[in-house]
Amino acid sequence: MLTFTLRRISLFIFTMLVLTLLSFSLSFLFPGDTVINHSGQINATASELVQLNKAYQMDKSIVDQYGAYLTHILNGDFGQSMASQSPIRNEIIELLPATIELSLVALLIAMVVGIPLGFIAAINHNKASDNVILSLAMLGYSIPVFWLGLLAILVFSIGLGWLPSAGQISLLFEIEFVTGIQFIDILLSDSPYKWQAFSNASAHIILPACVIALAPATIFIRLSRAAMIEVLAASYIRAARAKGLSFQQIIFRHAIRNALIKIIRHVGLQFANLVTIAMVTEVIFSWPGIGRWLIESIYQRDYTAIQSGLLVLSCFIFIIHILTDFIYAALNPLARGNQHGS
Amino acid sequence: MNLLDIRNLSIELDTPNGRVLAVDRVSLSIKEGEVRGLVGESGSGKSLLAQAIIGVLEDKWHVHADRFHWRGIDLLRLTIDERRALLCRDIAMIFQEPMSCLDPTTLIGEQLSEAIDSKQLSGYFWQRKKQRKEAVIKLLHKVGIKKHSQCISSYPHQLTEAICQRVMIAIALAGRPILLIADEPTATMESTNQGQIYRLLANLNQLKNMSILLISHDLENLTHWTSTITVMYSGQFVEAGTTEQIFNRPMHPYTRALVDSSTKANLQLPTKSRLMTLPGSIPILQHLPIGCRLGPRCPRAQQTCVSAPKVSNFHGHKVSCHFPILHESPRKESQKHKAVKHKTVKGNN
Repeated sequence: MLTFTLRRISLFIFTMLVLTLLSFSLSFLFPGDTVINHSGQINATASELVQLNKAYQMDKSIVDQYGAYLTHILNGDFGQSMASQSPIRNEIIELLPATIELSLVALLIAMVVGIPLGFIAAINHNKASDNVILSLAMLGYSIPVFWLGLLAILVFSIGLGWLPSAGQISLLFEIEFVTGIQFIDILLSDSPYKWQAFSNASAHIILPACVIALAPATIFIRLSRAAMIEVLAASYIRAARAKGLSFQQIIFRHAIRNALIKIIRHVGLQFANLVTIAMVTEVIFSWPGIGRWLIESIYQRDYTAIQSGLLVLSCFIFIIHILTDFIYAALNPLARGNQHGS
Repeated sequence: MNLLDIRNLSIELDTPNGRVLAVDRVSLSIKEGEVRGLVGESGSGKSLLAQAIIGVLEDKWHVHADRFHWRGIDLLRLTIDERRALLCRDIAMIFQEPMSCLDPTTLIGEQLSEAIDSKQLSGYFWQRKKQRKEAVIKLLHKVGIKKHSQCISSYPHQLTEAICQRVMIAIALAGRPILLIADEPTATMESTNQGQIYRLLANLNQLKNMSILLISHDLENLTHWTSTITVMYSGQFVEAGTTEQIFNRPMHPYTRALVDSSTKANLQLPTKSRLMTLPGSIPILQHLPIGCRLGPRCPRAQQTCVSAPKVSNFHGHKVSCHFPILHESPRKESQKHKAVKHKTVKGNN
């Protein structure tokens, strides 16, 4: 297990190095002065420019420049936003948790709904329920998210009035910013209206999270269906049946774990897709997350913000990847051993 | 009394081009305490037959039988669930590849303990766990695994093929079966392990009076361990009889060829000469010959062989062939000829 952890950590470090290299090169590729793209200070005076050039070691070789850029990143200095001239670091700290919250809730919904449905479809393979679930999955996968988001607002917020259409929480509640993740902040706060705030925040998150979850859930349905069908055809299931186990025992003791192993890695891969969908959804539901901020910076040609936003988001996605890898190893004894080449 | 009595069992497979008759009216009976061998080339439907008996075939296979009795109970009258409940209690099966028949993500100990029926345990529920563990250790000792604690807490991929097979046998024994179906239990093992597994099975047969259906492609090896043998070819019944009858006086041309191709029967053969074999290979499921499926390869085939032969019984030695090889003393043979002549003369008159 230790070697497994070390391997994942080293993989993380090297991937992050490549990612910083990419964002570093973006400064050269974007229009404008490289050092201004790095720092985001568009209104710098001549003396400030000299200082910046020195800080980013622009007079030295490109390797030194990269080193200087890396030091800035590691110190948490992403530069300033070109549009608002405030440090990007503060904006990210404020906005990223909201995105993390939204995408994790969406992932949870997608898994909780998608995987059992896929299993049910596989167990009733070639029967009516299998076909119904598959066609629903096909339908869900084909709906574009921006349209679905608007439709959901139209039906559930405006038409039925069940759920709020925008924002993270009602403005009436004043929640102190601690971690940025709304639910944790609410639980940490000592406001007398804590539980009202909690239910209000839950009502706010349901609609956007469901909209985001739809497409990944349909993918999970297909993945888990295929995995379950494969597992149910395996010889150890046949052997378990010959052992005299009942169908439920076979499914719960043997089939589900083996099918989950096949799915869990795809969950990590699908997460990148999910975050992309979340970015669009954040715009529709005015969710104060990093996705909306990033799209706005793209509109405003805020190169520094685009760079750092990409870096932070991909870092987040990669961490989720590694976490799913750990869950995979916990479920699968074959992955835990000293295997080479993985 | 026959433990298992199957008459004319057919297995059909759904394919895109219609149903294919994979196993064609095979009969099989097993007596109590008997070790019966089931021999045939790979692809002759031995494993299918075994899986059909225990009822673990997938939905695409369709099984029919004229008679299917288990200890006098007509299984065809029971529903599928009742049949499985009955058979899983009394029949256990060891599969071909032990490694793939153990759940790769579950510990050996768990897999073993779930095979133990809770009816075997006595005592209150808090004692059950301990009793289960003791039963598991006992089972492992029974199949000759001494390092039980190490084995219990390991996953299938951490064990060797032979130990996995022993674990499979232990799982099969957990239900205290009356009949054990061993489907090529030593297919991927070296000969020392093979011997050990066969000896273990023979011990179980002798000490516990457990009947065993031993499936193998190796007729010569099988003769050491079995008392009766059934031979199959391409899903059809070929010949059945005692091991003596089958190995020493085969009546079907196919069995004859099987015996001839083994090294033991050919000790008088000069060195480096070829063993006797039938020309060609076993037909694939999509292009089965009509009638006797051995027909195109059979050295004794004649025109009548396009219709399937009926099973004829020679003192318990059953053979399904139009032209069986009869081993009779010359005197008896001539007598028979005379009788036939006499008959024809009579007929002419």
